[in-house]
Amino acid sequence: MSETRLYPGMSRDEKTSFAPYSAFDIPADLRELSGRYDVEAMARRCRNFRYAEEWLMMMLGGWVATIPELPVKTGLGKVIWETAQAADALGRRLPELRCGRVVVDASESANAGFAAFIQSVSEPERPDLTIEKLAGPFDVLMPHLVDVYEETMRETDQICDAPTIELLDDIVRKRRRHIRWGREVLDRLCETDALRERRRVRVEGLNAELVRSGGVTGTLSEERGVLN
Amino acid sequence: MKRFIQHEELARDSRFVRQDNRQSTLLAALPDDVDKVVDAFEQFSDMIEASVKGTAAEPLFEAYGPAFALTVLNEPLDPDAPAGTTRLLLRMHGIFVGEVQALEGSARSLWDFPDAPWEFKMNMARQAWDEARHVQIFEKLLTHLGGEVGMFPESTFLFECACSKDPAMRVAGVNRGLEGLACDVFRDMIRYAEKTGDEKMRQAIDYVLADELTHVRFGSEWVYEFTKDDPEYLERTREYRRTVDKQFSFGGARSDREDAAIPIAWEDRLEAGFTEEELEDLASISSSGPSRKTLVEAARILRERHLAKRAPSKQPETTEAGR
Ligand SMILES: [Fe+2]
Ligand SMILES: [Fe+2]
Repeated sequence: MSETRLYPGMSRDEKTSFAPYSAFDIPADLRELSGRYDVEAMARRCRNFRYAEEWLMMMLGGWVATIPELPVKTGLGKVIWETAQAADALGRRLPELRCGRVVVDASESANAGFAAFIQSVSEPERPDLTIEKLAGPFDVLMPHLVDVYEETMRETDQICDAPTIELLDDIVRKRRRHIRWGREVLDRLCETDALRERRRVRVEGLNAELVRSGGVTGTLSEERGVLN
Repeated sequence: MKRFIQHEELARDSRFVRQDNRQSTLLAALPDDVDKVVDAFEQFSDMIEASVKGTAAEPLFEAYGPAFALTVLNEPLDPDAPAGTTRLLLRMHGIFVGEVQALEGSARSLWDFPDAPWEFKMNMARQAWDEARHVQIFEKLLTHLGGEVGMFPESTFLFECACSKDPAMRVAGVNRGLEGLACDVFRDMIRYAEKTGDEKMRQAIDYVLADELTHVRFGSEWVYEFTKDDPEYLERTREYRRTVDKQFSFGGARSDREDAAIPIAWEDRLEAGFTEEELEDLASISSSGPSRKTLVEAARILRERHLAKRAPSKQPETTEAGR
Protein backbone atom coordinates (compact mmCIF):
# COMPACT_ATOMS: atom_id res chain seq x y z
CA MET A 1 0.00 0.00 0.00
CA SER A 2 1.48 3.33 -1.09
CA GLU A 3 1.41 6.43 1.15
CA THR A 4 1.08 9.98 -0.22
CA ARG A 5 4.56 11.45 -0.25
CA LEU A 6 4.95 14.76 1.65
CA TYR A 7 8.56 15.47 0.64
CA PRO A 8 10.38 14.82 -2.64
CA GLY A 9 12.82 11.91 -2.61
CA MET A 10 16.11 11.42 -4.38
CA SER A 11 14.98 9.86 -7.64
CA ARG A 12 12.55 10.95 -10.37
CA ASP A 13 9.89 8.40 -9.43
CA GLU A 14 9.84 9.69 -5.87
CA LYS A 15 8.24 13.03 -6.84
CA THR A 16 5.37 14.19 -4.60
CA SER A 17 1.83 14.14 -5.85
CA PHE A 18 1.13 17.88 -5.21
CA ALA A 19 0.06 19.94 -8.25
CA PRO A 20 1.80 23.35 -8.65
CA TYR A 21 -1.33 25.38 -7.85
CA SER A 22 -3.42 22.84 -6.08
CA ALA A 23 -5.09 24.75 -3.25
CA PHE A 24 -6.07 27.95 -5.05
CA ASP A 25 -6.15 29.16 -8.56
CA ILE A 26 -3.01 31.27 -8.19
CA PRO A 27 -2.16 33.14 -11.41
CA ALA A 28 1.28 32.34 -12.72
CA ASP A 29 4.01 35.00 -12.60
CA LEU A 30 4.27 35.89 -16.26
CA ARG A 31 7.15 38.37 -15.93
CA GLU A 32 10.11 37.71 -18.18
CA LEU A 33 13.63 37.63 -16.84
CA SER A 34 14.98 40.61 -18.65
CA GLY A 35 16.37 43.98 -17.71
CA ARG A 36 18.33 46.73 -19.35
CA TYR A 37 21.04 46.94 -16.68
CA ASP A 38 23.40 44.26 -15.42
CA VAL A 39 24.78 44.25 -11.85
CA GLU A 40 27.71 46.48 -12.70
CA ALA A 41 25.58 49.01 -14.58
CA MET A 42 23.04 49.17 -11.75
CA ALA A 43 25.80 49.66 -9.17
CA ARG A 44 27.09 52.59 -11.23
CA ARG A 45 23.60 54.08 -11.40
CA CYS A 46 23.19 53.75 -7.63
CA ARG A 47 26.50 55.56 -7.09
CA ASN A 48 25.39 58.32 -9.47
CA PHE A 49 21.99 58.63 -7.79
CA ARG A 50 23.65 58.73 -4.39
CA TYR A 51 25.91 61.55 -5.53
CA ALA A 52 22.87 63.65 -6.50
CA GLU A 53 20.99 62.86 -3.27
CA GLU A 54 23.98 63.55 -1.03
CA TRP A 55 24.75 66.93 -2.60
CA LEU A 56 21.09 67.86 -2.65
CA MET A 57 20.90 67.18 1.10
CA MET A 58 24.07 69.15 1.75
CA MET A 59 23.08 72.24 -0.23
CA LEU A 60 19.60 72.38 1.33
CA GLY A 61 21.34 72.21 4.70
CA GLY A 62 23.59 75.10 3.73
CA TRP A 63 20.65 77.26 2.69
CA VAL A 64 18.56 76.90 5.83
CA ALA A 65 20.56 79.65 7.54
CA THR A 66 20.46 82.13 4.66
CA ILE A 67 16.79 81.75 3.71
CA PRO A 68 14.81 84.39 5.63
CA GLU A 69 11.31 82.92 5.27
CA LEU A 70 10.66 80.90 8.45
CA PRO A 71 8.19 78.36 6.97
CA VAL A 72 10.76 77.59 4.25
CA LYS A 73 13.49 77.04 6.86
CA THR A 74 11.31 74.63 8.81
CA GLY A 75 9.86 72.93 5.72
CA LEU A 76 13.35 72.16 4.44
CA GLY A 77 14.15 70.29 7.66
CA LYS A 78 12.08 67.27 6.66
CA VAL A 79 13.23 67.37 3.04
CA ILE A 80 16.84 67.30 4.25
CA TRP A 81 16.23 64.26 6.46
CA GLU A 82 14.33 62.32 3.79
CA THR A 83 16.99 63.14 1.21
CA ALA A 84 19.68 61.87 3.59
CA GLN A 85 17.67 58.68 4.02
CA ALA A 86 17.45 58.33 0.22
CA ALA A 87 21.24 58.65 -0.10
CA ASP A 88 21.67 56.19 2.74
CA ALA A 89 19.36 53.59 1.18
CA LEU A 90 21.21 53.86 -2.15
CA GLY A 91 24.52 53.44 -0.32
CA ARG A 92 23.27 50.33 1.45
CA ARG A 93 22.32 48.79 -1.88
CA LEU A 94 25.91 49.06 -3.16
CA PRO A 95 27.45 46.16 -1.20
CA GLU A 96 24.49 44.07 -2.37
CA LEU A 97 25.56 44.85 -5.93
CA ARG A 98 29.02 43.34 -5.46
CA CYS A 99 30.75 46.65 -4.65
CA GLY A 100 32.42 45.39 -1.50
CA ARG A 101 31.40 45.82 2.08
CA VAL A 102 32.86 49.23 2.74
CA VAL A 103 31.47 51.29 -0.10
CA VAL A 104 28.12 52.32 1.35
CA ASP A 105 29.20 55.97 1.20
CA ALA A 106 30.57 55.84 -2.32
CA SER A 107 28.94 58.66 -4.23
CA GLU A 108 30.16 59.30 -7.72
CA SER A 109 29.24 61.87 -10.29
CA ALA A 110 28.57 60.44 -13.75
CA ASN A 111 30.90 63.04 -15.25
CA ALA A 112 32.46 66.45 -14.64
CA GLY A 113 29.50 68.12 -16.35
CA PHE A 114 26.98 66.83 -13.83
CA ALA A 115 29.28 67.76 -10.93
CA ALA A 116 29.50 71.29 -12.37
CA PHE A 117 25.71 71.36 -12.71
CA ILE A 118 25.35 70.47 -9.01
CA GLN A 119 27.72 73.31 -8.10
CA SER A 120 25.62 75.69 -10.21
CA VAL A 121 22.45 74.60 -8.39
CA SER A 122 24.14 75.24 -5.02
CA GLU A 123 25.57 78.63 -5.98
CA PRO A 124 22.99 81.19 -4.71
CA GLU A 125 24.02 82.65 -1.39
CA ARG A 126 22.34 85.97 -0.51
CA PRO A 127 19.13 86.06 1.55
CA ASP A 128 17.19 87.76 -1.28
CA LEU A 129 17.73 84.77 -3.58
CA THR A 130 15.23 82.27 -2.15
CA ILE A 131 13.61 81.93 -5.60
CA GLU A 132 16.93 81.08 -7.26
CA LYS A 133 17.81 78.70 -4.42
CA LEU A 134 14.53 76.74 -4.52
CA ALA A 135 14.02 76.72 -8.29
CA GLY A 136 17.19 74.64 -8.77
CA PRO A 137 16.21 71.63 -6.64
CA PHE A 138 12.42 71.79 -6.89
CA ASP A 139 11.92 72.81 -10.54
CA VAL A 140 14.93 71.14 -12.15
CA LEU A 141 16.96 68.58 -10.18
CA MET A 142 14.22 66.74 -8.26
CA PRO A 143 11.85 66.35 -11.26
CA HIS A 144 14.80 65.08 -13.30
CA LEU A 145 15.67 62.53 -10.60
CA VAL A 146 12.06 61.34 -10.42
CA ASP A 147 12.00 60.81 -14.20
CA VAL A 148 15.25 58.87 -14.20
CA TYR A 149 14.30 56.78 -11.15
CA GLU A 150 10.97 55.87 -12.73
CA GLU A 151 12.61 54.92 -15.97
CA THR A 152 15.14 52.83 -14.06
CA MET A 153 12.36 51.05 -12.17
CA ARG A 154 10.55 50.29 -15.44
CA GLU A 155 13.58 49.04 -17.31
CA THR A 156 15.56 47.07 -14.77
CA ASP A 157 14.88 43.36 -14.23
CA GLN A 158 11.66 43.21 -12.23
CA ILE A 159 12.62 40.07 -10.33
CA CYS A 160 16.42 40.05 -10.17
CA ASP A 161 16.70 43.73 -9.25
CA ALA A 162 13.53 44.06 -7.16
CA PRO A 163 15.42 45.50 -4.13
CA THR A 164 16.53 48.50 -6.22
CA ILE A 165 12.98 48.97 -7.47
CA GLU A 166 11.65 48.92 -3.92
CA LEU A 167 14.06 51.55 -2.66
CA LEU A 168 13.60 53.84 -5.66
CA ASP A 169 9.83 53.50 -5.34
CA ASP A 170 10.08 54.71 -1.75
CA ILE A 171 12.31 57.64 -2.72
CA VAL A 172 10.04 58.68 -5.60
CA ARG A 173 6.95 58.65 -3.40
CA LYS A 174 8.54 61.08 -0.93
CA ARG A 175 10.25 63.08 -3.64
CA ARG A 176 6.90 63.85 -5.31
CA ARG A 177 5.75 65.28 -1.99
CA HIS A 178 8.89 67.43 -1.79
CA ILE A 179 8.32 68.75 -5.30
CA ARG A 180 4.68 69.61 -4.54
CA TRP A 181 5.73 71.51 -1.42
CA GLY A 182 8.64 73.33 -3.06
CA ARG A 183 6.57 74.41 -6.05
CA GLU A 184 3.79 75.65 -3.83
CA VAL A 185 6.34 77.77 -1.96
CA LEU A 186 7.81 79.04 -5.25
CA ASP A 187 4.34 79.90 -6.58
CA ARG A 188 3.68 81.92 -3.44
CA LEU A 189 7.05 83.67 -3.60
CA CYS A 190 6.74 84.51 -7.31
CA GLU A 191 3.76 86.81 -7.00
CA THR A 192 4.70 89.35 -9.69
CA ASP A 193 5.68 88.98 -13.34
CA ALA A 194 9.20 90.13 -12.51
CA LEU A 195 9.59 87.43 -9.85
CA ARG A 196 8.07 84.78 -12.13
CA GLU A 197 10.59 85.83 -14.77
CA ARG A 198 13.45 85.32 -12.28
CA ARG A 199 12.23 81.77 -11.68
CA ARG A 200 11.85 81.09 -15.42
CA VAL A 201 15.33 82.35 -16.25
CA ARG A 202 16.89 80.29 -13.46
CA VAL A 203 15.07 77.11 -14.55
CA GLU A 204 15.97 77.64 -18.20
CA GLY A 205 19.68 78.15 -17.43
CA LEU A 206 19.95 75.11 -15.17
CA ASN A 207 17.96 72.89 -17.53
CA ALA A 208 20.32 73.72 -20.37
CA GLU A 209 23.31 72.81 -18.18
CA LEU A 210 21.62 69.59 -17.08
CA VAL A 211 20.99 68.55 -20.69
CA ARG A 212 24.60 69.32 -21.65
CA SER A 213 25.85 67.12 -18.80
CA GLY A 214 23.74 64.14 -19.81
CA GLY A 215 21.84 64.14 -16.53
CA VAL A 216 22.47 62.23 -13.34
CA THR A 217 23.72 59.12 -15.18
CA GLY A 218 25.51 61.12 -17.88
CA THR A 219 24.06 58.93 -20.60
CA LEU A 220 20.51 60.02 -21.08
CA SER A 221 20.91 62.19 -24.14
CA GLU A 222 22.64 59.36 -26.00
CA GLU A 223 20.12 56.78 -24.88
CA ARG A 224 17.00 58.73 -25.55
CA GLY A 225 17.99 61.52 -27.85
CA VAL A 226 16.19 63.98 -25.61
CA LEU A 227 16.16 64.69 -21.93
CA ASN A 228 12.96 64.75 -19.94
CA MET B 1 27.79 78.87 -1.73
CA LYS B 2 30.71 79.48 0.59
CA ARG B 3 31.57 77.33 3.61
CA PHE B 4 31.12 78.91 7.06
CA ILE B 5 29.00 81.97 7.73
CA GLN B 6 29.03 84.59 10.46
CA HIS B 7 26.15 84.92 12.88
CA GLU B 8 25.30 88.30 11.29
CA GLU B 9 24.43 86.40 8.11
CA LEU B 10 21.60 84.39 9.66
CA ALA B 11 18.61 85.43 7.56
CA ARG B 12 15.30 86.41 9.18
CA ASP B 13 11.89 87.53 7.95
CA SER B 14 10.45 90.96 8.66
CA ARG B 15 9.01 90.02 12.06
CA PHE B 16 12.39 89.56 13.71
CA VAL B 17 14.42 92.21 15.57
CA ARG B 18 18.16 91.62 16.06
CA GLN B 19 19.95 92.40 19.31
CA ASP B 20 23.65 93.08 19.79
CA ASN B 21 25.24 89.85 21.08
CA ARG B 22 27.42 91.72 23.57
CA GLN B 23 24.33 92.04 25.76
CA SER B 24 24.03 88.28 26.06
CA THR B 25 27.69 87.66 26.73
CA LEU B 26 27.85 90.52 29.26
CA LEU B 27 26.61 88.37 32.13
CA ALA B 28 29.13 85.59 31.54
CA ALA B 29 32.06 87.90 32.30
CA LEU B 30 30.73 89.68 35.38
CA PRO B 31 32.48 89.30 38.75
CA ASP B 32 30.68 89.01 42.10
CA ASP B 33 30.85 92.75 42.66
CA VAL B 34 27.81 95.06 42.82
CA ASP B 35 29.62 98.17 41.52
CA LYS B 36 31.13 96.33 38.57
CA VAL B 37 27.75 94.84 37.62
CA VAL B 38 26.15 98.30 37.81
CA ASP B 39 28.94 99.85 35.71
CA ALA B 40 28.68 97.17 33.05
CA PHE B 41 24.93 97.56 32.63
CA GLU B 42 25.10 101.36 32.59
CA GLN B 43 27.72 101.17 29.87
CA PHE B 44 25.36 99.14 27.66
CA SER B 45 22.20 101.00 28.67
CA ASP B 46 21.67 102.91 25.40
CA MET B 47 22.30 99.81 23.33
CA ILE B 48 19.87 97.76 25.42
CA GLU B 49 17.22 100.49 25.21
CA ALA B 50 17.58 100.70 21.43
CA SER B 51 17.26 96.94 21.01
CA VAL B 52 14.00 96.66 22.98
CA LYS B 53 12.35 99.67 21.34
CA GLY B 54 9.00 98.69 19.90
CA THR B 55 9.16 95.15 21.28
CA ALA B 56 7.30 93.60 24.20
CA ALA B 57 10.44 94.05 26.31
CA GLU B 58 10.09 97.84 26.21
CA PRO B 59 7.74 97.94 29.25
CA LEU B 60 10.24 95.81 31.16
CA PHE B 61 12.99 98.27 30.30
CA GLU B 62 10.79 101.17 31.35
CA ALA B 63 10.03 99.52 34.67
CA TYR B 64 13.42 98.07 35.57
CA GLY B 65 15.98 99.91 33.45
CA PRO B 66 18.88 98.30 31.60
CA ALA B 67 19.16 95.43 34.10
CA PHE B 68 15.66 94.14 33.38
CA ALA B 69 17.25 90.95 32.06
CA LEU B 70 18.57 90.24 35.55
CA THR B 71 15.04 90.09 36.84
CA VAL B 72 14.15 87.62 34.11
CA LEU B 73 17.17 85.39 33.83
CA ASN B 74 18.14 85.28 37.46
CA GLU B 75 14.78 84.65 39.02
CA PRO B 76 13.03 81.29 38.75
CA LEU B 77 9.86 81.52 36.65
CA ASP B 78 6.85 82.11 38.84
CA PRO B 79 3.36 82.53 37.39
CA ASP B 80 2.34 84.75 40.33
CA ALA B 81 5.38 87.05 40.26
CA PRO B 82 5.12 90.62 38.94
CA ALA B 83 5.22 90.62 35.14
CA GLY B 84 5.10 86.80 35.31
CA THR B 85 3.50 86.47 31.87
CA THR B 86 5.94 88.83 30.19
CA ARG B 87 8.87 87.00 31.73
CA LEU B 88 7.48 83.62 30.66
CA LEU B 89 7.03 84.91 27.11
CA LEU B 90 10.52 86.39 27.11
CA ARG B 91 11.94 83.01 28.03
CA MET B 92 9.76 81.15 25.52
CA HIS B 93 10.78 83.57 22.79
CA GLY B 94 14.43 83.03 23.75
CA ILE B 95 13.92 79.27 23.44
CA PHE B 96 12.15 79.72 20.10
CA VAL B 97 15.02 81.72 18.54
CA GLY B 98 17.46 79.24 20.13
CA GLU B 99 15.70 76.45 18.23
CA VAL B 100 15.94 78.45 15.00
CA GLN B 101 19.69 78.78 15.54
CA ALA B 102 20.04 75.09 16.48
CA LEU B 103 18.29 74.27 13.17
CA GLU B 104 20.67 76.54 11.32
CA GLY B 105 23.72 75.21 13.15
CA SER B 106 22.97 71.54 12.52
CA ALA B 107 21.89 72.08 8.90
CA ARG B 108 24.93 74.22 8.26
CA SER B 109 27.21 71.38 9.44
CA LEU B 110 26.05 69.43 6.37
CA TRP B 111 27.45 72.08 4.06
CA ASP B 112 30.43 73.24 6.11
CA PHE B 113 31.98 69.77 6.48
CA PRO B 114 31.53 68.01 3.12
CA ASP B 115 34.22 65.43 3.87
CA ALA B 116 32.82 64.38 7.25
CA PRO B 117 31.89 60.68 7.70
CA TRP B 118 28.53 59.66 6.29
CA GLU B 119 27.08 58.71 9.68
CA PHE B 120 27.88 62.22 10.92
CA LYS B 121 25.92 63.69 8.02
CA MET B 122 23.02 61.36 8.78
CA ASN B 123 22.98 62.52 12.41
CA MET B 124 23.10 66.19 11.43
CA ALA B 125 20.36 65.72 8.84
CA ARG B 126 18.16 64.05 11.43
CA GLN B 127 18.90 66.82 13.91
CA ALA B 128 17.99 69.44 11.30
CA TRP B 129 14.54 67.89 10.94
CA ASP B 130 14.11 67.63 14.71
CA GLU B 131 15.10 71.27 15.23
CA ALA B 132 12.75 72.32 12.43
CA ARG B 133 9.92 70.61 14.35
CA HIS B 134 11.09 72.28 17.55
CA VAL B 135 10.86 75.68 15.87
CA GLN B 136 7.28 74.87 14.88
CA ILE B 137 6.46 73.55 18.36
CA PHE B 138 7.77 76.64 20.15
CA GLU B 139 6.12 78.97 17.67
CA LYS B 140 2.83 77.24 18.52
CA LEU B 141 3.53 77.31 22.26
CA LEU B 142 4.37 81.00 22.03
CA THR B 143 0.98 81.62 20.43
CA HIS B 144 -0.68 79.31 22.99
CA LEU B 145 0.71 81.53 25.77
CA GLY B 146 -0.42 84.75 24.07
CA GLY B 147 2.86 85.74 22.45
CA GLU B 148 4.11 86.03 18.89
CA VAL B 149 7.26 85.72 16.81
CA GLY B 150 9.36 88.89 16.91
CA MET B 151 7.81 90.29 20.09
CA PHE B 152 11.29 90.39 21.68
CA PRO B 153 14.66 91.04 20.08
CA GLU B 154 16.74 88.03 19.07
CA SER B 155 20.32 87.53 20.14
CA THR B 156 22.26 85.23 17.82
CA PHE B 157 24.96 84.60 20.40
CA LEU B 158 24.10 80.89 20.64
CA PHE B 159 25.10 80.47 17.00
CA GLU B 160 28.06 82.81 17.40
CA CYS B 161 29.46 80.95 20.43
CA ALA B 162 28.75 77.41 19.32
CA CYS B 163 29.40 77.34 15.57
CA SER B 164 33.12 76.67 15.30
CA LYS B 165 34.86 75.99 11.99
CA ASP B 166 36.33 72.81 13.41
CA PRO B 167 33.95 69.80 13.25
CA ALA B 168 34.87 68.41 16.70
CA MET B 169 34.45 71.83 18.27
CA ARG B 170 31.22 72.43 16.33
CA VAL B 171 29.64 69.32 17.82
CA ALA B 172 31.14 70.10 21.22
CA GLY B 173 29.70 73.64 21.11
CA VAL B 174 26.34 72.93 19.45
CA ASN B 175 25.56 69.37 20.53
CA ARG B 176 27.01 69.38 24.03
CA GLY B 177 27.06 73.09 24.99
CA LEU B 178 23.90 74.42 23.35
CA GLU B 179 21.91 71.19 23.49
CA GLY B 180 22.99 70.61 27.07
CA LEU B 181 21.64 74.04 27.97
CA ALA B 182 18.43 73.08 26.16
CA CYS B 183 18.11 70.01 28.43
CA ASP B 184 18.41 72.23 31.53
CA VAL B 185 15.91 74.80 30.25
CA PHE B 186 13.38 72.24 29.04
CA ARG B 187 13.42 70.27 32.28
CA ASP B 188 12.75 73.58 34.04
CA MET B 189 9.91 74.43 31.64
CA ILE B 190 8.32 71.00 32.16
CA ARG B 191 8.36 71.66 35.94
CA TYR B 192 6.76 75.06 35.30
CA ALA B 193 4.05 73.53 33.08
CA GLU B 194 3.31 70.91 35.73
CA LYS B 195 2.96 73.66 38.28
CA THR B 196 0.53 75.66 36.15
CA GLY B 197 -1.34 72.55 34.93
CA ASP B 198 -0.56 73.36 31.29
CA GLU B 199 -0.75 69.85 29.83
CA LYS B 200 -0.29 71.00 26.23
CA MET B 201 2.99 72.69 27.08
CA ARG B 202 4.18 69.87 29.35
CA GLN B 203 3.66 67.15 26.80
CA ALA B 204 5.13 69.10 23.87
CA ILE B 205 8.31 70.02 25.76
CA ASP B 206 8.59 66.47 27.11
CA TYR B 207 8.90 65.28 23.48
CA VAL B 208 11.33 68.06 22.62
CA LEU B 209 13.53 67.12 25.60
CA ALA B 210 13.63 63.51 24.37
CA ASP B 211 14.92 64.75 21.01
CA GLU B 212 17.53 66.96 22.67
CA LEU B 213 18.93 64.01 24.60
CA THR B 214 19.49 62.29 21.28
CA HIS B 215 21.27 65.38 19.96
CA VAL B 216 23.57 65.52 22.98
CA ARG B 217 24.32 61.84 22.39
CA PHE B 218 25.27 62.63 18.76
CA GLY B 219 27.67 65.25 20.16
CA SER B 220 29.16 62.96 22.78
CA GLU B 221 29.85 60.26 20.19
CA TRP B 222 31.27 62.54 17.50
CA VAL B 223 33.56 64.49 19.80
CA TYR B 224 35.26 61.20 20.71
CA GLU B 225 35.25 59.96 17.13
CA PHE B 226 36.75 63.16 15.66
CA THR B 227 39.44 63.39 18.34
CA LYS B 228 40.32 59.71 18.73
CA ASP B 229 44.06 59.04 18.83
CA ASP B 230 44.70 62.73 19.56
CA PRO B 231 44.37 63.48 23.29
CA GLU B 232 45.60 67.06 22.82
CA TYR B 233 42.83 67.73 20.28
CA LEU B 234 40.27 66.19 22.65
CA GLU B 235 41.53 68.49 25.41
CA ARG B 236 41.22 71.59 23.20
CA THR B 237 37.70 70.52 22.29
CA ARG B 238 36.86 70.14 25.99
CA GLU B 239 38.28 73.58 26.71
CA TYR B 240 36.16 75.03 23.93
CA ARG B 241 33.01 73.45 25.35
CA ARG B 242 33.87 74.77 28.80
CA THR B 243 34.09 78.30 27.36
CA VAL B 244 30.73 77.81 25.65
CA ASP B 245 29.26 76.42 28.87
CA LYS B 246 30.52 79.45 30.78
CA GLN B 247 28.84 81.78 28.24
CA PHE B 248 25.63 79.77 28.39
CA SER B 249 25.48 79.94 32.19
CA PHE B 250 24.51 83.64 32.14
CA GLY B 251 26.56 84.42 35.21
CA GLY B 252 25.15 81.55 37.25
CA ALA B 253 21.51 81.82 36.20
CA ARG B 254 21.91 78.32 34.76
CA SER B 255 23.93 76.48 37.39
CA ASP B 256 23.76 74.11 40.31
CA ARG B 257 23.59 76.96 42.81
CA GLU B 258 20.68 77.03 45.18
CA ASP B 259 19.63 80.42 43.80
CA ALA B 260 19.81 79.32 40.14
CA ALA B 261 16.88 80.21 37.89
CA ILE B 262 17.64 77.21 35.68
CA PRO B 263 19.12 74.21 37.54
CA ILE B 264 21.38 71.75 35.72
CA ALA B 265 19.33 68.74 34.61
CA TRP B 266 21.70 66.07 36.00
CA GLU B 267 19.56 63.02 35.30
CA ASP B 268 18.78 64.02 31.73
CA ARG B 269 22.39 64.94 31.02
CA LEU B 270 23.67 61.63 32.40
CA GLU B 271 21.24 59.78 30.17
CA ALA B 272 22.52 61.83 27.23
CA GLY B 273 26.12 60.76 27.73
CA PHE B 274 27.65 63.42 29.98
CA THR B 275 29.85 61.88 32.66
CA GLU B 276 29.57 62.64 36.39
CA GLU B 277 33.00 64.26 36.13
CA GLU B 278 31.89 66.54 33.29
CA LEU B 279 28.81 67.55 35.25
CA GLU B 280 30.84 68.34 38.37
CA ASP B 281 33.02 70.49 36.12
CA LEU B 282 29.96 72.21 34.61
CA ALA B 283 28.59 72.89 38.08
CA SER B 284 31.80 74.63 39.08
CA ILE B 285 32.18 76.62 35.81
CA SER B 286 28.59 77.81 35.84
CA SER B 287 28.34 78.83 39.47
CA SER B 288 31.28 81.22 39.49
CA GLY B 289 29.38 84.37 38.43
CA PRO B 290 27.91 87.02 40.69
CA SER B 291 25.67 85.75 43.47
CA ARG B 292 21.97 86.35 43.36
CA LYS B 293 22.34 88.79 46.25
CA THR B 294 24.82 90.83 44.20
CA LEU B 295 22.56 90.84 41.17
CA VAL B 296 19.47 91.79 43.15
CA GLU B 297 21.34 94.67 44.74
CA ALA B 298 22.78 95.79 41.38
CA ALA B 299 19.33 95.55 39.79
CA ARG B 300 17.88 97.69 42.61
CA ILE B 301 20.49 100.42 42.13
CA LEU B 302 20.12 100.36 38.36
CA ARG B 303 16.35 100.57 38.64
CA GLU B 304 16.52 103.51 41.02
CA ARG B 305 18.92 105.41 38.78
CA HIS B 306 16.82 104.60 35.73
CA LEU B 307 13.59 105.82 37.36
CA ALA B 308 15.31 108.96 38.64
CA LYS B 309 16.40 109.71 35.07
CA ARG B 310 12.89 109.06 33.75
CA ALA B 311 11.01 111.06 36.42
CA PRO B 312 8.70 112.82 36.25
CA SER B 313 7.79 112.25 32.60
CA LYS B 314 7.37 108.46 32.78
CA GLN B 315 4.97 106.47 34.93
CA PRO B 316 6.37 102.93 34.90
CA GLU B 317 4.04 101.84 37.70
CA THR B 318 1.19 101.79 35.19
CA THR B 319 2.78 99.06 33.09
CA GLU B 320 2.22 95.41 33.79
CA ALA B 321 5.90 94.98 34.48
CA GLY B 322 5.91 97.77 37.05
CA ARG B 323 3.12 96.38 39.14
FE1 LIG C 1 15.87 71.72 19.71
FE1 LIG D 1 18.51 69.93 19.62
